Amino acid sequence: MGTETKSSNAWLVTTVLAALGLIGAQAVLYMSYYYTPVQISEGTLWVVTPDRGNPINLYESYRIFFIHLPAAYSTALCCGICLVGGVMWLLSKQPKWEALTVASAEVGLVTGAMVLLTGTLWADYAWGSGRIGSGWNWEPRLTTMLILWLAFAALLVLRRSMDTPRQRSAMTAVYGILLGPLYPLVSKAIEIGQTSHPRNFSDLLTAPEIAHTKNLASIALTLALMALVALRFQWNRLGQQIEQERAA
Amino acid sequence: MADAPVQPSFLRAVGALFARELRVELRTKSLLTSMGLFALLCIVIVGLGVRGITSNETYDRFVLAMLWVCTMFAAVVGLNRAAGSDRRKDFFGALLILPHDPGVVYFVRLVSTLAFLLLTQAIMIVVAVPLLKLDFFDQPLMLLIIPLADLGILAPGVLLSSSTSRVRGGEALLTIALLPVAVPVFAGATGATERLQGGGGFAGAQPYVLLLLVCGAMFTALGLLLYGRLNEG
Repeated sequence: MGTETKSSNAWLVTTVLAALGLIGAQAVLYMSYYYTPVQISEGTLWVVTPDRGNPINLYESYRIFFIHLPAAYSTALCCGICLVGGVMWLLSKQPKWEALTVASAEVGLVTGAMVLLTGTLWADYAWGSGRIGSGWNWEPRLTTMLILWLAFAALLVLRRSMDTPRQRSAMTAVYGILLGPLYPLVSKAIEIGQTSHPRNFSDLLTAPEIAHTKNLASIALTLALMALVALRFQWNRLGQQIEQERAA
Repeated sequence: MADAPVQPSFLRAVGALFARELRVELRTKSLLTSMGLFALLCIVIVGLGVRGITSNETYDRFVLAMLWVCTMFAAVVGLNRAAGSDRRKDFFGALLILPHDPGVVYFVRLVSTLAFLLLTQAIMIVVAVPLLKLDFFDQPLMLLIIPLADLGILAPGVLLSSSTSRVRGGEALLTIALLPVAVPVFAGATGATERLQGGGGFAGAQPYVLLLLVCGAMFTALGLLLYGRLNEG
């Protein structure tokens, strides 16, 4: 009875997060085309890229930030959840923490890919030549983000390779903890040898309509992606229950 | 009435385990030969690869970066050899009856592997200075950066290799697992080397040295805490 109540509570949380996130995403979609400015006057959305030397107008390319930024925040959250899940599993040995660590690594892999893809597409326009991949210049921020994405993938590959459930759980927890410090590195990488990637998006997005849309997008899409973590968590818990029943 | 068994002190345990590591290596010479040969082969391959580089600046930067790549992979080879040997001798089963925290074993393994890697690097540098025209001896601060970077690579490496060595294809797994985690260390090592070579001195390399110090301390502390938990049961 208790397990059923807990399970239904978890589904309720997932549904509420997903509903809020999706409603917010619809609002962001509407605002990004009907609320934010289409005609950009000089001075509001100009960015100076040292690679080119001349300021360029972002025109409407800034709309990609409404996906790029929330995906980046979600990746940071996933990294933090991996760390917390790992520590909690080592302290309590409860399977739910392993399920949470795995869920956040899985979603981190998706959100990390979103950050890399949207970032690269914008970079091609902002400081590349316009050709696909021309904006990827191996700067510390770009490279550390790619490494973080690879670390999420490594965690999932490693746990699948372990022979026993015990080894699998321990490796998931330990690697989740080792993965934790990588996001501060991604965050700090902007201060090391950065030339092209903007240091602060708020400096670029000064128009109030854009700032409002960006803030709503950050909340709504992060909620939707956290709903995805909750959904994968439920899925992984079901997998653990099936495994336990098979073993019994 | 039988006397209660006396638990050896922490230092005695560290000393005994370290002596065991040295004795095993002196008898088998397994780590030094595999890491050393691997590093020397890397130098030969790097030497072949840089023949076409005409710019001096590009050459110097490339060679130094490649030496760090050689170090990274030599460390992976050494870690795999050491952990593979432990698996064959059921070392992890013996951990269960150790009268001390398993962190002692981690500490000893880290110190011994660090010593062997430093020895390998010494050989590597002696060979690379004439063959690759490396200006190593102009930069005495590298003597600080090299052990710090090695510690940052080996601290998570010793931890992860204890688990990956026990599964099929563990050698490849260790590389996959270690490289993303060791990237901050690699960034610190290459950054510090570049600054020193560019004439920035210690002041220029300071942020990178700090990064290496933080990574080394953090990974060592995590290793000491997690080694037993990763290998219990």
